[in-house]
Amino acid sequence: MEQQMHQIELWVRQLPVEQLYAALAVLVVTFAFFAILHLLKPSKSTTIVLAGLSGSGKTALFYQLRDGSTHQGTVTSMDPNEGTFVLHSELEKKGKLKPIHLVDVPGHSRLRSKLDEFLPHAAGLIFVVDALDFLPNCRAAAEYLYDILTKASIVKRKTPILILCNKVDKVTAHSKEFIKKQLEKEIDKLRTSRNAISSADIADEYTLGVPGEAFSFSQCRNKVSVAEASGLTGEVSQVEQFIREHVKH
Amino acid sequence: MLEQLLIFTRGGLILWTCGNALKGSPIDTLIRSCLLEERSAETSFSYDAPAGGAAYTLKWAFHNDLDLVFVAVYQRILHLLYVDDLLAAVRREFSQIYDPKRTAYDEFDEIFRQLQKEAEARAEEMRKSKQSNRASLVAGKKQGAGAGQRAGGQGNAKQKGGKAGSGKDDDDDGESGRGRGLSNGRENGIKEPSRARSVVVKGKDNGAPEVGAFDVNKLQRLRPKGGKKTDTGGWRASKAEPKKIVKKNRVWDDSPSDSRLDFTDPVDEKGDEIVDVGKTDHGESMMDKEEIVSSDSESEEDEEVESAKPGTEKKGWFSSMFQSIAGKAVLEKADLKPALKALKDRLMTKNVAEEIAEKLCESVAASLEGKKLGSFTRVSSTVQTAMEEALLRILTPKRSIDILRDVHAAKEQGKPYVIVFVGVNGVGKSTNLAKVAYWLVQHNVSVMMAACDTFRSGAVEQLRTHARRLQVPIFEKGYEKDPAIVAREAIQEASRNNSDVVLVDTAGRMQDNEPLMRALSKLINLNNPDLVLFVGEALVGNDAVDQLSKFNQKLADLSTVPNARLIDGILLTKFDTIDDKVGAALSMVYISGAPVMFVGCGQSYTDLKKLNVKSIVKTLLK
Repeated sequence: MEQQMHQIELWVRQLPVEQLYAALAVLVVTFAFFAILHLLKPSKSTTIVLAGLSGSGKTALFYQLRDGSTHQGTVTSMDPNEGTFVLHSELEKKGKLKPIHLVDVPGHSRLRSKLDEFLPHAAGLIFVVDALDFLPNCRAAAEYLYDILTKASIVKRKTPILILCNKVDKVTAHSKEFIKKQLEKEIDKLRTSRNAISSADIADEYTLGVPGEAFSFSQCRNKVSVAEASGLTGEVSQVEQFIREHVKH
Repeated sequence: MLEQLLIFTRGGLILWTCGNALKGSPIDTLIRSCLLEERSAETSFSYDAPAGGAAYTLKWAFHNDLDLVFVAVYQRILHLLYVDDLLAAVRREFSQIYDPKRTAYDEFDEIFRQLQKEAEARAEEMRKSKQSNRASLVAGKKQGAGAGQRAGGQGNAKQKGGKAGSGKDDDDDGESGRGRGLSNGRENGIKEPSRARSVVVKGKDNGAPEVGAFDVNKLQRLRPKGGKKTDTGGWRASKAEPKKIVKKNRVWDDSPSDSRLDFTDPVDEKGDEIVDVGKTDHGESMMDKEEIVSSDSESEEDEEVESAKPGTEKKGWFSSMFQSIAGKAVLEKADLKPALKALKDRLMTKNVAEEIAEKLCESVAASLEGKKLGSFTRVSSTVQTAMEEALLRILTPKRSIDILRDVHAAKEQGKPYVIVFVGVNGVGKSTNLAKVAYWLVQHNVSVMMAACDTFRSGAVEQLRTHARRLQVPIFEKGYEKDPAIVAREAIQEASRNNSDVVLVDTAGRMQDNEPLMRALSKLINLNNPDLVLFVGEALVGNDAVDQLSKFNQKLADLSTVPNARLIDGILLTKFDTIDDKVGAALSMVYISGAPVMFVGCGQSYTDLKKLNVKSIVKTLLK
């Protein structure tokens, strides 16, 4: 064993110095290259996430934005829908077309954990609310929205959020002001029951709003806006505006 | 004939459909209550459209590689034999023309019509050949042997009565079709040539429909809960296994029991005592403490997720790497079997009930069959990832478990929020009731206890002591009273003195004890509580399946209203006594569908916490 080690040492000493340096330089350059790539990646973020309760119309909206129609209909999603594409309405425009990366996360409560995979890269989040069937689901929607608003990845990165009232083509759909007020009231109630829970440092959650005052979306550190749309008929102009505003290149 | 056949992606877009419009929303219900609940290994699913619409049976097939789902819907009274066949053929043909970019597949109409004709023709042939077989069999046979076997056949029918309206299957589920003795006997084309059935079918079939009719009625009562209920109704409790519960008295040799004894003040007859000891803060209930979860493994997962699909890329060892490159690319059942068996054994060593482990493995197999293995992945790692996802899905609650929010909502409506604690003997109902009361009191909720355990000696005094220490009012009527009446009066009293929450303690009862279960059902029906909490101990083994399914079944059967109140939540107790054998949580959640709301992890007031789903999944698969 020792003899072999000795032989290897002699052989190494024999190698010309330049070769050793060249080898080392190649290694260093490769590492540097990968490090730079890795650092450069997160600065680009063109992902928009569609979230909301099951049945609010996210998948229909996804296909409406991508293809301009909802084809033959949708069912409850079991997996997220992802796509990088140019918005359908922008296809006619000439000039450079900017593709966006849109992700539709299933709303079923058992699949909520999938949202956490996409949030850290989101440039914006669209929270879809069913304006037609709003009141029975108001509490569940508010809880989901509360969970999203208190996630660290949203608060730290100040991700802009659009609360989208979907299905407004129907006559009995509620107005966006009504929905906004109801959500604010529900979240206010949630605040008192959830904040009672932890007084110590919370690693993952942040408290919402100003204590002592009623909650309103303007108190959030990230920008929260409300809009209306209809996934079925294709009235998605306000959505597209939001997307174009917040997808940076 | 088929009402509808749908092809859709796992992401939710319908690619192709053929048939009439369906009443209600059977597909969404199928996805929510069956496929997402990890019951995709079952053969069929029944759906009743609300408000007296049609009754459908649904069958499905997956194409795991392309992430497609094929669903066939037909009326439950029909027994179409060719559905499985047709689904397989459709899957084969469609995967050839499928293109992820396309969303319209109109040319498939023609192909489908052809496939349907072929499948129907095949089914006709098989039926005719069976008939001729049967005719020859019946011709030369003794009646005596036939009668004996007929009785055996009827016994089989009872067993399979649980599968409501399933079509014919490759396995021996064919017997259930007999129960619906509505269609003519010839529709019950059964694959295995069984002499018993031939006698029943050919001759007068008054025996079978009675058996079937009984099952159908029973199932109709269970049906409001969806397909899940029919399974619970039909499952034979695996009583073969001896009960593994060993409840030993814990001997405290060196615990600080002396100081505990000090707290127990000598009680006089009335039990009125100076209560300054009770109200002192025992500290923060563990419900309110965030769990410190080791996050290193989770951060690894997040990094992996940045790349393509999570968890499909892992480096194996050299030899298995070569094998995975050179080996088969598409996963088949035979490949999955050893990995699944290993996983199942591992789950069972963690105290998961055997039935549940089996069903889970089948469901994971159904979701992985036909998938292409990624490069440099081993079969076992793919299976492990799929199982982890499945477990995470099952244990994540599907409705909110925020009790405080519910209490506030009830408070706004002006009525008290009633929680009933049910369970078998000795699981810790009274102790954990006190823990929940302590937690609620800490959050400024006014609590009232109701001593509806009027059977066990000392139960009322036990609650009285807890009530005194926590300084909450208690409603008691002593022993040998009807618990349902006591509960009703307690709720009335609570609304009179404006208590926010009423905690109702009941006596422990075995799930087989008919009169006691009836009494419990009466209590629940009479008082209509907001939350029925099943208290189960984490030490229980296979009996968890039996306990929960029987409790649910009895509550459903003996209920007076069509929408029976079933178990809404689970309180898992004695969690500190099991080190890492946490499987009971999984068994209970899977079988009942109810989320785990609290976990009791000790015997003092602060030992109540929430279930940490990620850590349980990690422990189960370690």
